[in-house]
Amino acid sequence: MHHQFRSPEGPIEVTVAKQGESWYLGSLEATPMPDGRLRILNDDGTVMFAHLVKVGDVWWVHVDGHTFKLERVEPGASDTDDGGGLTAPMPGKVLQVLVDVGQTVSSGTTLMVLEAMKMEHRIVAASDGTVTAVHFGAGDQVEQGVALLALEES
Amino acid sequence: MVSKVLVANRGEIACRILRACNEAGLASVAIYAANDADSMFLELADQAVLLEGETIGETYLDQQQILAIAKATGADAIHPGFGFLSERADFARAVGEAGLQWVGPSPEAIEQMGDKMTARITMRAAGVPVIPGEEIEQEEEAEALAAIESASHRVGYPLLLKASSGGGGKGMRAVHSPEDLIESAKGARREAIAAFGDGRVYIERLLTGSKHVEIQVLADRHGRTVHLGERECSVQRRHQKVFEEAPCATMTPDLREAMGQAAVAAAEAVNYEGAGTVEFLLASTGEFFFLEMNTRIQVEHPVTELVTGVDLVREQLRIAAGEPMSCGPLMMRGHAIEVRLYAEDPENNFLPAIGPLAVFRPPEGPGVRLDTGVREGDSVTPNYDPMLAKLIVWAPSRAEALQRMRRALDEFVVLGTTTNIRFLRELCDEPEVVTGQTDTTTIDRLWPDGWHPSVPRSIEDAALMSAAVGESAGLHRTVSVVAGSSSGPVSPFATLHRRFP
Repeated sequence: MHHQFRSPEGPIEVTVAKQGESWYLGSLEATPMPDGRLRILNDDGTVMFAHLVKVGDVWWVHVDGHTFKLERVEPGASDTDDGGGLTAPMPGKVLQVLVDVGQTVSSGTTLMVLEAMKMEHRIVAASDGTVTAVHFGAGDQVEQGVALLALEES
Repeated sequence: MVSKVLVANRGEIACRILRACNEAGLASVAIYAANDADSMFLELADQAVLLEGETIGETYLDQQQILAIAKATGADAIHPGFGFLSERADFARAVGEAGLQWVGPSPEAIEQMGDKMTARITMRAAGVPVIPGEEIEQEEEAEALAAIESASHRVGYPLLLKASSGGGGKGMRAVHSPEDLIESAKGARREAIAAFGDGRVYIERLLTGSKHVEIQVLADRHGRTVHLGERECSVQRRHQKVFEEAPCATMTPDLREAMGQAAVAAAEAVNYEGAGTVEFLLASTGEFFFLEMNTRIQVEHPVTELVTGVDLVREQLRIAAGEPMSCGPLMMRGHAIEVRLYAEDPENNFLPAIGPLAVFRPPEGPGVRLDTGVREGDSVTPNYDPMLAKLIVWAPSRAEALQRMRRALDEFVVLGTTTNIRFLRELCDEPEVVTGQTDTTTIDRLWPDGWHPSVPRSIEDAALMSAAVGESAGLHRTVSVVAGSSSGPVSPFATLHRRFP
């Protein structure tokens, strides 16, 4: 089966094939275990065990002391980044909202100020555009990764 | 007599203390804020009482409310843990005035050690070496600057200007050459006045390449004050300890004895009672200097427990009850290392992370100890400190302890929340750490431009394959903990790039 994931290095496409109880990718053979882990056999005979869990759209995988976050990309999804960087970089509180919906802004304009762990973070427009949505107001708590505002590029 | 202990803390250290109470046959009371209603430490107490209020100030720091709960539940002692009210002399005094036993030193001892200038002067009087330097008493700017200029010749460069009532790096300036002195002094005074309303600064020699070495002390009411050897905590990031060990790799028996005696003298100078830690800077010359005394149990106390065989929290309870401490002459055996697991993103400037602990599988096996306040299924929230756990290992030698720590970190699985586990694991491979030549600048020097993991290609392929197989086989449906585990966005990435609702 074919899947696409997004990693920090960009999109990755993977095709795994099933035969009997096992799955194959190149020289690797993976077999699901009763507790939800995968037993992965290398062609040199060594074996690894993977813990995996899906949280939201993200697969969290632990193999051999390394942890990976792989976001699954739904088939047919567009490849452009709709976040525009206007997401909360960490959990915190909205200190100030400096723009209104409909306002046109130029690249570099500060749109919102967040406070987290006693540090201020400025959310800045990456391009010229029009503010199409403001999702939070001053005083609101925000979680890491949530969209704070939306900006339509002009 | 102590028969029922109220633990005025939460999380990992509350668990540690509540377990000690249980082992000592003491009844226990936990207190908790509403957002801790499902936290693990409540399960370890005989009873748990809700703190009214929203903020930390209205809950874990509300002295009157905590005292009222102690009265209502019949507790006769209060253990403050660390952080929160643990170094608040006014609370220690209020506890005593309410007829309850404070598990810790007297309010006077807390006060004397809490003020940096007073502590420095008290220690010098007790014959404990302090960092060479001078206090500047002048308050008027021109006079103060003249006095600083004059003192700088005696102290020598590089030097450090520190605010008398300072803390948290405010009003602190490192000065490397005489040309920068006056500007730096003005800046330090300005910051100190703004932050503390007190512009007085003192000058210390700046000791670069020093180790942070601290001595654990115990003192009881029967005239006995002892030290339990040292811990080295040089590996720090922004003054936050990351990797702690006992003994210090470069310690000698003579130096240990000298530092231990200095720590005992420091404790005796303030009539100390209970467990405390005297922190020193250990210069590469072998000279050591008093930094400060922490008048409470410390985060890194387990490494001392593992090499000395002394249960420090149990001794705290024993001493508070008026009994003599139970430990005999100091015997250190083997080597212990502690690392602090944080919910943070080491690849992104160590920003705090949140999320569910969808999988939380700590390592097991010989010589491994885990002190934590969370379990699988919990969520990491921005409400409190992001420390998830302390992983501590013991082995006969330092080299074996490092090997054991690597093995344990490789086994530690946390999924759903970003952690610093891999950072800690790679730290264990750094030559400075391997040889024990760490100092307080180690992390900044090793990763000046931030840290990124090195991942073998084969592991990356296996991970990618796992996600693909998981998706194809629907394996996530077998992990029930994810569904309904928490409210709100469950992952930092959950809404980051979402295409479809």
